Parts: sequence; C-alpha cells; structure tokens
Amino acid sequence: MMAHRPGLFARGSAWVVALYLLLPISIIIPVSMTDQRFLSLPKEGLSLQHYATVLGSPEWLASIWQSFLIAVVATGIAVAAGTLCAIGCWRVASRSTNLVRALMLLPIIIPSIVYAVGLYRYFAGLDLLDRFMGVAIAHGVTGIPYVVITVSTALAAFDPRLEQAARGMGASLSQTLRWVILPRIAPGILSGAIFAFIHSWDELVIVLFIASRDVFTLPRRIWDGINENLDPAMAAVAVLLVVFTTGLLLLDRALRRRRDG
Amino acid sequence: MSAAGHALALQGLSKRYGSFTAVADVSLAVGQGEFLTLLGPSGSGKTTILMCIAGFVEPSEGRILLDGRDITALPPERRDFGMVFQGYALFPHMTVAENVAFPLRVRKLGAAERDAKVRAALDLVQLSAFGERLPRQLSGGQQQRVALARALVFEPALLLLDEPLSALDKKLRAELQDELKALHRRIGRTFVNVTHDQEEALSLSDRVAILNHGKLIQQGAPTELYEAPRTRFVADFLGKSNFLSGTVQEVFAGGFAIGAGATRVVTAAAEAPPLGSPALLSLRPEKMALLAEGEAAQNSVAGTIESWSYLGAGYALNVATPDFGTLRITLPSWNAPIAPREGLPVRLGWSAAASVPVLDDLA
Repeated sequence: MMAHRPGLFARGSAWVVALYLLLPISIIIPVSMTDQRFLSLPKEGLSLQHYATVLGSPEWLASIWQSFLIAVVATGIAVAAGTLCAIGCWRVASRSTNLVRALMLLPIIIPSIVYAVGLYRYFAGLDLLDRFMGVAIAHGVTGIPYVVITVSTALAAFDPRLEQAARGMGASLSQTLRWVILPRIAPGILSGAIFAFIHSWDELVIVLFIASRDVFTLPRRIWDGINENLDPAMAAVAVLLVVFTTGLLLLDRALRRRRDG
Repeated sequence: MSAAGHALALQGLSKRYGSFTAVADVSLAVGQGEFLTLLGPSGSGKTTILMCIAGFVEPSEGRILLDGRDITALPPERRDFGMVFQGYALFPHMTVAENVAFPLRVRKLGAAERDAKVRAALDLVQLSAFGERLPRQLSGGQQQRVALARALVFEPALLLLDEPLSALDKKLRAELQDELKALHRRIGRTFVNVTHDQEEALSLSDRVAILNHGKLIQQGAPTELYEAPRTRFVADFLGKSNFLSGTVQEVFAGGFAIGAGATRVVTAAAEAPPLGSPALLSLRPEKMALLAEGEAAQNSVAGTIESWSYLGAGYALNVATPDFGTLRITLPSWNAPIAPREGLPVRLGWSAAASVPVLDDLA
C-alpha cells in the first residue's frame, strides 16, 4: 500500500509547530556562550566562561547535587508506591480500582500551586518545611502518577495466563511477583522512574512554597538568579539541564525499543 | 517419573456468573492413570470445569475430590497439578531450561537435583539441545513440548491440558497427538484434557465426557460414544451422522421398527418407545452400502444422487430420498461399485444395528 503523503499545508504547519517548540530552547545555546557579562547573544566571539563559572561555583554545584539527591529519593518513593498501586489495581480489577487509579492521577490534574499551598499548611505541623525529606516526599508523591501510568500500561500488555501458570506450578504471590510479573513490567517501571526523576529534577512551584534556605534546588537557584541579576550562567545551567533531560528521554526510548524489539 | 496417577472426582459441580450458568451440576470421576477428555463446542463449559479443577475458578456449588480428599477450597498453588495452557504461557523472559526449572525453583530444590530433573524432562520431550533458547526462538510444536516438560517436571498429581494442540497446524497436531498418547502410556499419570476437536478426543482419550451448554450430556469410552450415542447432539458432534425420524410402528424382541411415509426402518435396541410415538435414529454415513440390483438388506431406501465429492480415500454422496430427505453416505473409493454421477438412481442398505435410536435433544 502507498503511504498517504501529507499536503503542503499540513507539512508547513507541522514545521511551524516544531520550530515553535524548539526555538526558545535552542536560543539559550548561543546565549550560554556569550562573551558579554549579561544575558545576551554573543557579540564578538564565543566563550565558555559561563560554563566555567557554573562548574566552579560551590553554590551552583551544591544546588545541582542537592537536586540530584532529592530526585533520586523522590524517584524511589514514586516507583515503590506507584508500582505497588498499579499492580494492586490490576490484580483486583474492579470499579473501585478504576477510582483508585483516577485518584492517583490527581497530582498532575490539579494545579501544582494549589497543591503547594496545601502542602505548606500540612508540612508546617510535621516540621517538614525547608527539609530535604520534605521536598523529597512532596516530589515523590507528585511523581506517583507517572509511574502508575507507565506500569499500568505495561501490565495491560501482560498475559494473565503467565501469572496463572506460575501459581499453578506452586509459586506464592511474592515468588510470582519477583520472578514473573516484575521482570515482565521492568521496562514500564523504568520509564516511570525516568519521568518521576525528571519531574522532581525541574520542579519549582512546590519548592518555592515549602523550602527557603536550607533546601535550595537547581530550579530554585535559576529562579533566584533570573530575579536578582541576568547572569548568563543561568543559560549555561539551562543548557546543561536540557542535555541531561534529553539524555534521560533518549535512554527511555532506547529501553522501549529494546522491549518492543 | 513412574509414580501412579491420582484419582479425581467432581461432585455436582456448578458455576454461575450472575444469571448465566457456565457449568450445571456436573459429576465426573477420573480414575488413576486415566486420560479423560472434556469435549464440547465453545461455550459448553469445558474450560470452566478445567479451571475449577486447577483452582483458578471457584465453583458456585459442588465439590472436587483428589483421592477422596476435598480440595475445593485449596488455592491453585497448593494443588500440585501440572497444567499446559492454551497458547502455552511460557515465560518469555526465561530460557527453555529456566522455564522448565521454574516449578523446581519454587520448591527450593538443590541446584544439582534441579538440573538433573530439567535434563530428564527435556529428554522426555526430545528437546535436550534447546535448553538455552528463548521460547520465541522455538516453533509452535517445540513450545508446546516445553510447556509439557514444564508441567511434568515436578511430578504433579494430575496433568491438565487446555486445548494443548489447537494452535498447531493439522499435520503437526497429528504428530503431537501420537506423542502425547505415548507420553501418557509411558508415565502413567492422570491426564485431563479439554478440546473442541472430536478427532483429538477420540484418538487420545480413555474416556470422553461430552458437554453442551454447561451440562454433561454423555461420558464413556470413545468407541461407546461413537457407536452408541445417546442423544442427537452427541451423534452430531462426534463424527457425522444422518438422522431418520418417524413413528414407532412395531416393537419386537431386541428392537423396534419406525415408519416414515412408505419406508420402514428396523433398529436394534434393548428397550423401545411406545407404539405410535415419534422416534429418531442416528445412522453413520460409513455404515451404509450401495445395494446391487436385487440385493437384500435389513433396511433399504431408494434415492438419486443429488451431489457427490471425491475425498481421496473415499467418495461422499448426498442421496435424495423421498421419506428421509438427503442422506449422506461415504464409500471407500478403491472398490466403489459405481462411478458416481448426479441424478444416478441408487439403493442404500444397512443393518438394524447401524441405525441407533437417539434422544432428540436439539429439537
């Protein structure tokens, strides 16, 4: 069968949308290599001085490291809770589990600023404001939806007869989980983990509300930097962020291809 | 693998889903080392019964006994039954050897013992050279044999087979049927098989239970079911059959005669319905013969060939008769007395024993 070729208009608008999405991101690449001392396009030549500033500054490095640690812990929380929730809903499979699954998606449905205000009130009583664990828990809980979605998708493709076969051969629930179900849905769990990680890695709104001085994540430092001075170091950080996130997404793609192939 | 098989009994088993009855009051006994096949069209409840035996479906009523012990409430993982699933359900992320080792790993057997048993099981199904392959690298027939090895490696009390051959092409199916039968003889275990393929049921089983709409219609040895079907459904589902309907005209010792129009047909039967009541006879196409000019038979009807086909080993003729509609008859082709042609007048003859009275359960 001949593939249907798109018309000029359809192709044109596709390019416009793609450029619209890509241009603001790509503009920061030349900006990050500016030879000026403020946020601008390079004038006389390219320079890597702002990258040197970022990678040589204890504040920036501390924020990068703290964001990374928070994202790791948050990813752990999201993966454990999200995977168990998805498997539980899949096994019980009734109308109420559909409700539970919908409930689990709440963090990405309601505006994060509303969620953040609620967390602020709630965390004050628990002494979790401006604490590493407070931010990690908040990011972990809001990361759960990504894991629930990817793991549920993986489970939908799981042949239930494999579970029956395992149980028929005498495997207990935990053996079936460890040896049959988890290996089959591992790519889904990993996808969810990557999304949960990215979610925590660039989350700002919640951090603005529940952290102030002790917890100062990378997005928070960028935000402050833009508010205080237009330091081109921000563009260098942004480029590093984009490269890192793109790397994670490519990893996710490669994993999917390996599973499907 | 020489331990004796175990005996299984179903007592008044029923399964209802809401208002739908999938299985209705089925009682069955499977003897030690017996090969029982549950045969029926789709929706007859045969798979539901197998799933009840395996423990994946909880019966609404009735009991399941293994060697006299009630196992109805036992979860599947504690029943110790081997099962070959439809589509095999091999673990795609494990090699053939790992698949076969799975039930032993669950039972925490030592590595040396486990390896020895896996090797023996793969030998049994002639796949010793394939241990390191992944299931998707095997053909359908090989996957089926891996599923068998996996189901047998832990010496289960019972082997359950859910349409084990349905995914294979015809030739391979015949081969694996022979293998399965030989395997059953060799290891002497109790097998419960589910199929909708009547040929498979006849050739494999010691006993066949025929189901329809969740009810057990008839059970017995394959020859018994084929030669003496009790109802129209059984005669029709197991092989092919003509049906002659008429009213009882005469009752005599060891049989009775029915009349339809100007034709009279005698049948052999232990007991006869009352005179004047309607009766239905089943008549297998291969149990009729073409009669020569002046040749006599216990029963005969005249008709003309409506259509015919050549099947290699035989001919199948559809013969239009005045009183019984179209009758199908098969003849071996190598010594067929006539060259079939449409419109040819013929006379069909058969013995009293060939026409078997059946209950009309499809009316």
